[in-house]
Amino acid sequence: MSPDSLGTLDGFLRLVRDDLGLVTDLAGPEAAGCDLTDLPGWDSVNLLRLVTLLEQESGRAMPVGRILEARTLGEIYALVEDLR
Amino acid sequence: MTTPKPTTGLDRLRGLQARGLLEKDHPTVAALLADEALTDTDLLRAGRLLAGLDHDAVLTHHPGTPVVTVAVTGQSTVGRVLDPLRAELARHGLLLRATVGEHGTYVRDLAQPQGSYDLTLCVLDAETVFSEVPVPWRAADAERATTEVLRRLAALAGGFAGLLVLNTVPLLRRYTHQLVDHASRAELGIVWREFNAGLLRLAAAHPAVVVIDLDPLIAEGGPAADPRMAAYAKEQLAAPLLAAYAREVGHLARSLCGRTRKALVLDLDNTLWDGILGEDGPEGIAAAGTLRGEAYGGFQKVVKQLGSQGVLLAVSSKNDEGPVLEVLRGHPDMALRERDFVSVEAGWRPKDGALARIARRLGIGADSLVFADDSPAEREQVRLGLPEVAVVPLDDEPALHVTRLLRDGWFDTLTLTREDRARTGQYRGEGERRALRERAGSHEDFLRELRVGVELGPPRAHEYARLAQLTQRTNQFNLTGLRLRQHELAAVPLLLAARSTDRFGDNGLVGAVAGRYADDGLHLDNLWLSCRVLARGIEQACLSALLAHARERGLPAVYAGFRPTRANARARDFYPSLGFAETGHGGTEGEAVIFRHDLGVIPAIPGHVRIDATQLGSGKDGG
Repeated sequence: MSPDSLGTLDGFLRLVRDDLGLVTDLAGPEAAGCDLTDLPGWDSVNLLRLVTLLEQESGRAMPVGRILEARTLGEIYALVEDLR
Repeated sequence: MTTPKPTTGLDRLRGLQARGLLEKDHPTVAALLADEALTDTDLLRAGRLLAGLDHDAVLTHHPGTPVVTVAVTGQSTVGRVLDPLRAELARHGLLLRATVGEHGTYVRDLAQPQGSYDLTLCVLDAETVFSEVPVPWRAADAERATTEVLRRLAALAGGFAGLLVLNTVPLLRRYTHQLVDHASRAELGIVWREFNAGLLRLAAAHPAVVVIDLDPLIAEGGPAADPRMAAYAKEQLAAPLLAAYAREVGHLARSLCGRTRKALVLDLDNTLWDGILGEDGPEGIAAAGTLRGEAYGGFQKVVKQLGSQGVLLAVSSKNDEGPVLEVLRGHPDMALRERDFVSVEAGWRPKDGALARIARRLGIGADSLVFADDSPAEREQVRLGLPEVAVVPLDDEPALHVTRLLRDGWFDTLTLTREDRARTGQYRGEGERRALRERAGSHEDFLRELRVGVELGPPRAHEYARLAQLTQRTNQFNLTGLRLRQHELAAVPLLLAARSTDRFGDNGLVGAVAGRYADDGLHLDNLWLSCRVLARGIEQACLSALLAHARERGLPAVYAGFRPTRANARARDFYPSLGFAETGHGGTEGEAVIFRHDLGVIPAIPGHVRIDATQLGSGKDGG
């Protein structure tokens, strides 16, 4: 994963797909707007994995509480964007 | 211009997944995960990827793949242990079938019947205690809570059916430093260490309990907890610690499946000593006296320590044999000597062949070998030529040799027996037996001169640990693949131990019989015989004695079952060779073949075997 993989929504979604092993045909805004629990293969541990992953990729501390409250990937991406 | 990154094992795993070949090519997964280039994070990714594995399809393609069933429970959120656990088991060729309890439900989970799980992981953390401590609190409150948790766990362990895995609990600064005076803090420290010691003692008191000590894992590099994950997700142990814990559980699962490695094969130059013998000469190499030499010497001592616990040590070195033996016999720096090794392969041929010869000579499979070498080229050659061998990557930093060697607990086992400690001596006796075999004209002559003695009878009190271990380590002559743990042995209605001796010494407890008496005759549920003593007539002698005993008692028949496993194909004809007739496949047990002996003609005990004593039990009442 390149250092700027979080720079775009597509990069973010690719990270989610590849590293969380989520099998989804959805792309772009459609995937971003989808309720997390409706994503195929989603489970409650995925949010924790995602936080760890985002911190590794960005080298920055994530707002864990807010991410855990997010309902969609789009909301999480917005939180990541705010840190940049 | 960018050079393309080399393809890693993870890339190839993803490739398999993309092409839908993960299940069909499953036996290659372990080798892909053995890629030295994989990072800890890559291993997690692999574990995530393997979550999508279709177990039924794997088992259809490869029916022998061992499945380890695991229940995970705990006070806190522990679901994150599954990815690393899945990857660790896959590294050992095992499939993980897991269920995870909700956080906070461990008492309820453990109190339910556990029968169907190989392992139950009850992950303990500081919150397990502090959820029961009032606010404000003093050290005495923590002591009351730890006592209660220990009492509860001991009660649960008492009636436990499977193997219960507990862990020691890290003491976190966020608790110690809530107490502002040093005296109270010390008091809490004592309470906590006594709690952890109490947990470790549970394993001694209950054979169904194993306690994984987290202290050494945390000492390798914390932190033990991420306060944010603890606060928001109730995840009380940090993910990297859970991953390190999963690695330990992987070692445990491997030993339960009979995959504990038995021999360590070592390179010499820059592995056991500093320098290259062929170039620097014996005076130019060092394992003491210099900074780097001391590091190699330290490594030798750790290897010797493993050897003292039954790990067979061998050498595979690209060197002329003469100078190597001179160093092992006389060089002042060596902590390891020729007598510490059961086999020394020094020469110029490829190392995969040398390892295969060592395995053959020891009568074990290549999948029982661990190979440590500082040369990437040699490691790669062995990996390609003999993929079953576990390869330990060393490099030019000898101070890290010990860490690297011990990283994977390749030789971890539930209990260590007297036989283990004497094993190197027994295999050295093997060298004398081999010399006799070469001298003797025929195999029959060899056996006659070997003067084999066998004693068959109920196990003695001190033999249960060794018996359990025998069932777990024996693969080639394990006629149904059955493995029993020590506390399960008591439930076997007819349990017999076979001990053997020959002119070169005592082989100790080498075989076991599990059976039962029923109205239609004696049922032999399984036989085990150590591969060290196979093909010496011991197995035939024991069976003949059992058949004769059954006839004397007037039993109508003796029944026996054989179920093929990945390693026991050569024992398929054992029962027929002694006059058993195949009566078909056993109903629900799928592939098991059932044999029956009508006790008409009892095969004679092989002439060269002396049965010293037999005590075969007098029926349902034992005796």
